[in-house]
Amino acid sequence: MESSHSDRGLTPVKIVVAGGFGVGKTTFVGAISEIEPLRSEAIITEASADVDELFGDGTKTMTTVAMDFGRISLKHDLVLYLFGTPGQDRFHFMWNELARGAIGAVVLVDTRRIEAGFAAVDFFEKRGTPFVVAINTFHGRKLHSIEEVRHALQVGPETPIAYCDARVRVDVQKVLVTLVEHALDLASTGAAVN
Amino acid sequence: MTQPLVGGRIVRPYTMTGGRTMTQSPPIALEALVAATPEGMRRRRQFRWEAAEIISRSRRETAVVELAALLAVPVGVVRVLADDLRAEGAVTITEPPSALVDETGGEVYTDLLHKVLDGIKSL
Repeated sequence: MESSHSDRGLTPVKIVVAGGFGVGKTTFVGAISEIEPLRSEAIITEASADVDELFGDGTKTMTTVAMDFGRISLKHDLVLYLFGTPGQDRFHFMWNELARGAIGAVVLVDTRRIEAGFAAVDFFEKRGTPFVVAINTFHGRKLHSIEEVRHALQVGPETPIAYCDARVRVDVQKVLVTLVEHALDLASTGAAVN
Repeated sequence: MTQPLVGGRIVRPYTMTGGRTMTQSPPIALEALVAATPEGMRRRRQFRWEAAEIISRSRRETAVVELAALLAVPVGVVRVLADDLRAEGAVTITEPPSALVDETGGEVYTDLLHKVLDGIKSL
């Protein structure tokens, strides 16, 4: 831990990994992160859905919500943070905080429970955040075709959908490349919001 | 994943922040990078534990969310303390760029995305 200051001038960027509970978000993050995924907590008051409010007025229920994240140092003085969204439906408002400033999002789906991806697709569509759908094949089977998944999720042809094994680094890398390319397409047409 | 706050910790978060919450809107980003200044390193021992730890841990630029995980405190605590340390000149905070504040017609943001793409491809 020598202080060198040679790392100064880094720019942070962020990609969100969303999807239902247990779909493999932390596995996806861990497959490419240079650190073991870390967990941090934010405090929320459920009555107002304020994130990180540290006071209680005695009438609100305060809980902590956990998010897992990883880090990847890129060349060009960039550091990319990958955030897994909290899986439970009741923490969806936390997604706003995560999506703010994000390059885009990966919606990870498990074809045995496609409906678990609906909330994430709805959210990023409404928000205008660039997103791609990644079908996690970590159970070794491709139970549905990409077109079946596209139909089930009701996403348009402009949204990329791909298979990936969330445990495999190169698969995760390909999904991230697809997402950033998609974000670039949208940025050049002025359609993306972050 | 969920636990009641009261009774869940020995030190309550608002004790660590002197009862303050983050008022900046929007709040400091989760991925904003905190970097200790030479002055911060010099004066580190003048700060209480959590703040001193933030300075130590940000000798290399470190994200707010990472500091929260490393110190095992909620993100909001790091936000308040890092903001205080910035006011004291002990750290700098680099917020992420956003397409929404790109006043060049998107050129700067598009350049950034190209760099991210190159970076991911060459991992």
